[in-house]
Amino acid sequence: MTGGANPSSDVLKELENILDSDPFIDEVGFIHPSQFSELVKEVGSSLKDGLMESEGSEANTSDSVFWSRDHKLGISTTALLPLYRAAKHAFMEAIRQYQVLSESRGERDDSQDGNASRCTSTSISILETDIMKHSRVLLLLSCDFGTAWNFRKVVVSKIQQLHLYMDELSLSALVLSYSPKSERAWNHRRWVIKMIAGMCPNLQETVERESEFVEKLAEKSKMNYRAWNHRSWLVSYMSGEQVLSELNKSQDWAGLHVADNSCFHYRVRLLLKILAGFDKLDAGASSATSLRELWKKELNWVEMLIKRYVGREALWLHRRFLSLSWIKNFTTQVHSNSCSSCPNNMMNVEVFMDNELQLCHSCCTIPDNDFEDYQAQATFSATYIMWLVRQAAGSLPIELQKKLQENELKTVVKNVCPDKSFLWDTFNASI
Amino acid sequence: MGELAVDKHVKFILTVEKDKDSFESIVMEHIRLNGAYWGLTTLDILGKLNAVDQDEVISWMMQCQHESGGFGGNIGHDPHVLYTLSAIQVLALFDKIDVLDVDKVSNYIAGLQNEDGSFSGDMWGEIDTRFSYIAICSLALLKHLDKINVERAVNYIVSCKNLDGGFGCTPGAESHAGQIFCCVGALAITGSLHHVDKDLLGWWLCERQVKSGGLNGRPEKLPDVCYSWWVLSSLIMIDRVHWIDKEKLIRFILDSQDKENGGISDRPGDAVDIFHTYFGVAGLSLLEYRGLKAIDPAYALPVDVVNKILIGR
Ligand SMILES: [Zn+2]
Repeated sequence: MTGGANPSSDVLKELENILDSDPFIDEVGFIHPSQFSELVKEVGSSLKDGLMESEGSEANTSDSVFWSRDHKLGISTTALLPLYRAAKHAFMEAIRQYQVLSESRGERDDSQDGNASRCTSTSISILETDIMKHSRVLLLLSCDFGTAWNFRKVVVSKIQQLHLYMDELSLSALVLSYSPKSERAWNHRRWVIKMIAGMCPNLQETVERESEFVEKLAEKSKMNYRAWNHRSWLVSYMSGEQVLSELNKSQDWAGLHVADNSCFHYRVRLLLKILAGFDKLDAGASSATSLRELWKKELNWVEMLIKRYVGREALWLHRRFLSLSWIKNFTTQVHSNSCSSCPNNMMNVEVFMDNELQLCHSCCTIPDNDFEDYQAQATFSATYIMWLVRQAAGSLPIELQKKLQENELKTVVKNVCPDKSFLWDTFNASI
Repeated sequence: MGELAVDKHVKFILTVEKDKDSFESIVMEHIRLNGAYWGLTTLDILGKLNAVDQDEVISWMMQCQHESGGFGGNIGHDPHVLYTLSAIQVLALFDKIDVLDVDKVSNYIAGLQNEDGSFSGDMWGEIDTRFSYIAICSLALLKHLDKINVERAVNYIVSCKNLDGGFGCTPGAESHAGQIFCCVGALAITGSLHHVDKDLLGWWLCERQVKSGGLNGRPEKLPDVCYSWWVLSSLIMIDRVHWIDKEKLIRFILDSQDKENGGISDRPGDAVDIFHTYFGVAGLSLLEYRGLKAIDPAYALPVDVVNKILIGR
């Protein structure tokens, strides 16, 4: 309608054609003009060499503001502003007309004018195609343009076809591949999954694919709250079996990314789900034992990581959670029990606390070299034990509480992290 | 390090507003209303709100309102509570809330409350404790908290509390200083702070201070000026602000200024933006830096503005 006279709408059309011709584009990059011409030159030569073998991978270098090959798309930064303006203008115009037509159709439906309403519905579906095309370009350039995501929701939920929802997952994945924190892209994903859940109740496969998607993305985008929150959100859709398998699968990743608190929180979420699903009255002794073993395994694993990776806050915080829930759910206070004579029985709360104190002491020595990490380790271990004693106070026998208070713990805290010793005073007052 | 470069920051804010030609500024146009709130609140704290033409701002802003009552981030954009709160806050700064159809706006917000007490951000249903805060803060400023079920709203927020004392965006989500500010702010406004274990949460919050004196928003993250606001305001609301080293934090914020061209960045040496300029100045205000207007930690507006609305001065 606007015609070819406007150069920026030509650029828009060109990009829309590229995107239409390759629905599998999975990476987009914005390239500085100097790098861009080099890329074109390089590819130009490889284009000649490779022409015989693989015609399919021929690079698209027309007009030299776009470059695409092997499902990768490069856009010259010189084109960004005119492209954005053209896409926004076209999109806003399309949704304006769409709203006018949708309203007028609503009115005409009552008057039963068959011809006119058929005509309107054709125009509406043309506009829907336009909205999808223009919003896609707009979102590639401005990932949190909420109105563009919203109108995509309007169109796909009207048509209600599974493959369209799948396309939305692809677009959101494409946007997230270079804007991994885009709030709107994550929201759109959740909305799509809820719609899919309404159409096909068996979500297991989708959940598994999503979980893998987040893990891959988290590799490139460290400590990404929104990404992990998305994975965490999936937990509510998981079967018991899936929860266990996620716990297994995420362990190696966590061990390689010990500073990523979000991953450890994800494990907390999984562990809590397992704990909540465990009905103490109903469950047999064997499942109680396996739950306890699972917890013990996690405690041992984190202790190993703490000793291997010195001074990592996320590990100590994970241990706070594990130890507190261990004390609250798996230990007994009966110290006259015959078990208590057994020194390795972590189920006896005194034995358990003794172990934790020892761990703390062993982490409080600071060698002369590598001072900073060991200083951090000492601080985390001292605040760990203080935190644990405070939070577990209600579950500890009075004598043990007294013993801990009289213990040299206080001196340790004052020596290791004098700036945190006020925490000692507050927790002492609260017991 | 030296002083807060007040005049430079004022100039920076006024020029950011005029920049309509760079791609970087254009792609922010969908959140321009948030930007207006950040810039104008900063100007007010600095005592320079009169540097802008308020009629011009208000007439543009009212064009962002949707027929549903909610505001979009700019003219022609879909409404969302994120921009609706900013609109109310900007009008509050100018003491012009009366230009609003208060019933219409509050009905829009109240209509987004869900059965379980949570709030959606807009008609598409994403739920987040940020939206709970926004709804509660907005309705309190409009004096229409009676339009929602406050008890359920509070219970939902409490259900997002974690074992570490912090809060996340939904039940079971990781604790995050920004979300904590929202949850604590909403509980403070509704008089429900007794649901917070103040020592436990204060503990988590004061552990956000790192060696440089700056605060991070989550364990193991780099310090960032914007958390000066989120962590600090939360600590003030739960009365544990003496648990951090204020002097070191002031120094960290001042070191993050661009002293030549104005503006504050996320941490020393990085590029400045309006968002961090606001949070830096607001943080300094909470730290009682001299010459700044006091800011209210729950409403995120200057104390005199809040008092005028809530108690008629
Ligand atoms: Zn920041």
